Amino acid sequence: MVTTLIDPQASTWVDVFSTKQGAVYQSDAERCWYVDFAGKVARFDYRCLLKLKKAVYNVDIEAKLLETSKDPDVEIIFICACDHTYILTLMQIIALKELMEGTFVMLQLNSILQDRLYRIAV
Amino acid sequence: MKDLIRVRSLISAEVEMLLNQQVKKEAYSSAVYLSMASWCNRNGFDNSSDYFFKQAEEERQHQLKLYKYILDMGGNAVSPEVTGIKQEYNSFREVFEEALDQEISVTQSIKNIYARCLKEQDFVTNEFLNWFLKEQREEEYKARRALELFDVIGEEGTGRWQIDKHVGDIKYNSEA
Ligand SMILES: [Fe+2]
Ligand SMILES: [Fe+2]
Repeated sequence: MVTTLIDPQASTWVDVFSTKQGAVYQSDAERCWYVDFAGKVARFDYRCLLKLKKAVYNVDIEAKLLETSKDPDVEIIFICACDHTYILTLMQIIALKELMEGTFVMLQLNSILQDRLYRIAV
Repeated sequence: MKDLIRVRSLISAEVEMLLNQQVKKEAYSSAVYLSMASWCNRNGFDNSSDYFFKQAEEERQHQLKLYKYILDMGGNAVSPEVTGIKQEYNSFREVFEEALDQEISVTQSIKNIYARCLKEQDFVTNEFLNWFLKEQREEEYKARRALELFDVIGEEGTGRWQIDKHVGDIKYNSEA
């Protein structure tokens, strides 16, 4: 388990995206991201972050909302070959999805900026 | 903030997805040609059967070429699921009509990826795709020529036998 509870402000993490429910930070030095969500801060490399996104996107939120069974409304997000598992309620899944969407938009935007900057400057 | 995704992979997530779709299309083409080879063989068109066996093999090579490119660029190549292969054809001519349709749809799909790469200025992938564009020239040419045999020779009498005999001779050797 690589879950660490370092204060984000104290280290060299850069804000990627945040919502009221959580935040994603990037560490250039460690080449990874820290996802602060559901009471823990977890470290993800690129492969695992993609898997997390995919796992969250794959939850059929609409179907879950329409479900009338008495099962508790929790979903387990287990990411194969990564160290983290999330047990989330439907509301948290929606929040995590929002967090992932924003994160990937920001990462893509960063890619575009870097591409334009470096091609002109170097 | 460093572009960590770029560090990992030369191609964007979108291009990677499109290339994986193309891997699937080539695998599908290969399976379709294999089915055509079987149909021709069962119906006594041995040369056409050989022709389609060869095509099936070529499509497999196309699939691997794309697959390895995705991996080389740092992406994730996905081994495709291929389903829904038609096993029966209504006529000898129908086989060739569908072969041409198949090639046209592949050309369209390569054009589509090319356009996306241009938009992203992913010139590296564009350069890689040039090979496929040229290949599609040949593929469409051969499929079209084969179909033309039906009109030139005609299907009456020993026509189909003649057509089958000439299918193996179709070659594309343009210098252009
Ligand atoms: Fe092909
Ligand atoms: Fe082809």
